[in-house]
Amino acid sequence: MRTTTKSLQRATLMAGAIVVSLSVGSARAAEEHQVEQFHEEPPILGTLLIDRFEHRWRDGENSIDWDVQGWVGGDTNKIWFNAEGSKPVDGEVEEAEFQLLYSRMTSEFWDAQIGIRHDVRPQPQTTYGVIGFQGVAPYFFDVTAQLFVSEDGDFSARLEAEYDLLITQKLILQPVAEVNVSAQRVEELHIGPGFNDIELGLRLRYEVVREFAPYIGVHWERKLGETADIARDHGEDASDVSFVAGVRFWF
Amino acid sequence: MHTARHGLSRRDALKLAGAAGLAGIITVYPGRRVFAAADQSLNLAVERTRITIDGETSGAISIGGSIPAPTLRWREGQEVVIHVTNRLDEGTSIHWHGLLLQGIMDGAPGFNGFVPIGPGETYTYRFKLRQAGTYWYHSHSASQEQEGMYGAIVIEPAGRDPVRADRDYVVLLSDHTPENPENVLRKLKVSEGYYNNNKRTLVDFFRDAQRDGLGATINDRLAWGEMRMDATDLADVTGYQFLVNGKGPRDNWTAVYNPGERVRLRIINGSAMSIFDVRIPGLPMTVVSADGQNVVPVKVDEFRFGVGETYDVIVMPTEDNPFTFFAESIDRTGYARGTLATREGMEGEIPERRPRANLTMADMAMAPGMDHGSMAGMDHGNMPGMDHSNMPGMEQGSMAGMDHGSMPGMDHGSMEGMDHSNMPGMDHSAMPGMKQDATGSKEQAMGWGDAGTPPGAKALSYADLKALSKTTDLREPTQEIEVQLTGMMARYIWTINGQKFEEGTPIRVAYGDRVRIRFVNTTMMAHPMHLHGMFVELENGQTDRMPKKHVVLVPPGQATTVQLTANEPGEWPFHCHLLYHMASGMMTRFIVEPRTASL
Amino acid sequence: MRLNARTFYTAATLLTATGLLVAPGLAFAAPGEAGHKHETAAIGEPAKATAKTRTVQVVMGDNFYEPETIPVKAGETIRFVLKNQGEFLHEFNIGTATMHASHQKEMAMMMEHGMLTPTGINKNMSGMDHSKMGMAEMKHDDPNSVLVEPSQTKELTWKFTKDTALEFACNIPGHYESGMVGKVEFKR
Repeated sequence: MRTTTKSLQRATLMAGAIVVSLSVGSARAAEEHQVEQFHEEPPILGTLLIDRFEHRWRDGENSIDWDVQGWVGGDTNKIWFNAEGSKPVDGEVEEAEFQLLYSRMTSEFWDAQIGIRHDVRPQPQTTYGVIGFQGVAPYFFDVTAQLFVSEDGDFSARLEAEYDLLITQKLILQPVAEVNVSAQRVEELHIGPGFNDIELGLRLRYEVVREFAPYIGVHWERKLGETADIARDHGEDASDVSFVAGVRFWF
Repeated sequence: MHTARHGLSRRDALKLAGAAGLAGIITVYPGRRVFAAADQSLNLAVERTRITIDGETSGAISIGGSIPAPTLRWREGQEVVIHVTNRLDEGTSIHWHGLLLQGIMDGAPGFNGFVPIGPGETYTYRFKLRQAGTYWYHSHSASQEQEGMYGAIVIEPAGRDPVRADRDYVVLLSDHTPENPENVLRKLKVSEGYYNNNKRTLVDFFRDAQRDGLGATINDRLAWGEMRMDATDLADVTGYQFLVNGKGPRDNWTAVYNPGERVRLRIINGSAMSIFDVRIPGLPMTVVSADGQNVVPVKVDEFRFGVGETYDVIVMPTEDNPFTFFAESIDRTGYARGTLATREGMEGEIPERRPRANLTMADMAMAPGMDHGSMAGMDHGNMPGMDHSNMPGMEQGSMAGMDHGSMPGMDHGSMEGMDHSNMPGMDHSAMPGMKQDATGSKEQAMGWGDAGTPPGAKALSYADLKALSKTTDLREPTQEIEVQLTGMMARYIWTINGQKFEEGTPIRVAYGDRVRIRFVNTTMMAHPMHLHGMFVELENGQTDRMPKKHVVLVPPGQATTVQLTANEPGEWPFHCHLLYHMASGMMTRFIVEPRTASL
Repeated sequence: MRLNARTFYTAATLLTATGLLVAPGLAFAAPGEAGHKHETAAIGEPAKATAKTRTVQVVMGDNFYEPETIPVKAGETIRFVLKNQGEFLHEFNIGTATMHASHQKEMAMMMEHGMLTPTGINKNMSGMDHSKMGMAEMKHDDPNSVLVEPSQTKELTWKFTKDTALEFACNIPGHYESGMVGKVEFKR
């Protein structure tokens, strides 16, 4: 049965029609499960976390931003899904990134991930190959590190870390940091080589239940190096501070 | 003790096994033996129901129409027949926990040729009772046990019962959740700490800093953080209602007595996940039996109660007072409560709740590759009174099971601060002042083994257990099996020797051999390890009266050794009795192979 | 330091306990009860075997007596022949439930200090000079009680003077609780 599950997962990955067929597979696996014996490998599970869904107030135009992740799979193999983006309150979506990754447990705390990233916005749409890892570093830092190769052969990387500081059992302060690096200048994306930007966030959430938590916080980002220059050339600010309010919820 | 009685079936088994030839696995056991007419016959239906606990109603599954299921009172030597009808829309099974029987009758799907009882089907169990004592029965399918499928078995001895009591009560403890157990497991897998509402917070940090000093507190937090471990991880699942015979604390199950009577309580921990500390304030308990097997009576004030274990105790209330039977879960999120009273409707006082323990570095002494250098974070200076040379009550003999030689990379020099409180055989009452000093404050207990037992009170330890009958097989074990209790807490994967059930290598022993099993708990949780089909004998310092157990509670960071005579052929489940640990992989096959197989 | 303090403490406890046990006239009294002499008389008195009216055999098992009820008449002198067929040390002690309860504490103490073991009487310990330890007078020599080691047979002759609620019991820790007790039933 395990082989079935695995090959199923592999097949699905290739086909790309992930979620639908896996849920079918999971139902079938559950049936076999009962007939064969119990205490088998746990059935295929899944979760979806809307980590950030927030309104950002800033000097310029306010925006709605989101950061979502989810997975479907078993202990060892998972299909991982990431999405993030931003949309001005009164405008079109400016940024929308989707990732679909195959995630495999490599150690107690780490998963290795490989897959594709597709940015619907900004235009032109860009597709990347992704390789990275995701997990919990010592001292309970949630870390995601990813290396991207665009369809044009441009290399870039991203490192993200967050930490949950429990003030009480329900009131949690979450600092977040993210840096983006590029190996070369990418004209159409307005980025230069080296460090592109750094983002720092601090959010205070109240977990009404574990699955649902409204929060408030601040978000600061600053473009760096040549990327900052490009932004200034376009009449934009290199740094941006916003106050945020949103909800975090998961299923 | 009952060897003479089951000699015959053993020989039969051997014959059958021989006939089977080399297979190794005794699936040739179809239960085709022709039995004489059964002495006892009963029908039990398994069906969905609803249960109301303290006024709250939730879904459940019952056996025989009630939760807990009806107590089965039998007599040793009887042949019993049980027709189990499955009225669920999923497979089910009933496992007779602690009973010596033929493999297929054991009722564990996937073992010994037993297949789940399908919806609408009736399966007939039939076996001869080869033992006496208190046992229990429960589903061995999916998480049905969590939903109410458990009941008590009381087998009267064929001869004289060495225990005489005026009253005899079953006290079956369990934990009930209104949640769907499958959902519980999913949440644990998705977010392991989901149910822990006692994590360490900033508020705790400041409190500890004030008590222990800022530096010590920071170091302590860093040490835990470096390992990505949680010192408050005592139980995986919370939100339970703790039940005594199916009744919540407010429903108040009551046992009636007349002053001066001997009351025998057959206490069974039928929980899915909850380890309890059990006491009856004001009433000492004399433990007369453990896991159904008679022990030399030992008087205690409380005991720690692993999932799946049973203890028979005698209490002798002499006054016309209500006494509270109180079983607190070790994470202290709640308690099961009942009352011993001279009439229904009386209520004893609810005792003061015990402090919740924080785990210490000693609770991970067996963790692989543990760098004890990083234990510097534990400020031993804050534990005055933990000078081991001053502990007169400490019995070195009972620590024999701890083989320090096999702890890789362990630097003993840096372990002065180790919390030995959970070593079996250590009598806390004999360490005046130690507890207060070591814990610093009354609200905080340190280490898994610290039940918050007040000075002068006696808590049962495994070292106190001494079989009433002599150990029959005194041969030195010819095989030593190391069973590492392992897991990845953060992912909620639980394993034996690093392997999940479906990927694991079975343990094989030859029929008739005397073997030693050495449990090494590398995790930070206690695991009640249960072997089907045979009793294990605890190496607890007794030489010729090793107590027989079917569940051995292995504390975190410790090693426990047991011996057994592999005299029941078959392939037996061997698993952690914490339901979600078993469901997430903490199980293996224990195969007793016929000798012919090796020829 | 701590060790010494502890030893001192336990020695003191023992002294108190043994004092109660052997003090003349208090021998059978439960602490705090008035009229000791009277109660001593009430439970009866030891007698010479030759004075017996009849003989009763009592078998000791682990942990029970056979029979569990012994009918007697007030004024009768009975020679009990006590046969230990078990594997553990047992006691045959005639007294009231209250007396047994207090005797159990003393027995527990003797057991804890190694004077008694689960299977026998520690001869070495008995021969030791306990005076230094403050235990000089700790002995199990009550006239209403006899200890019987496994596979031994011992005797106790007792005169039952008066109809009163009596039990014969084994006060080795845990034995009484698990049911090693029988009833002396006075017949008219």
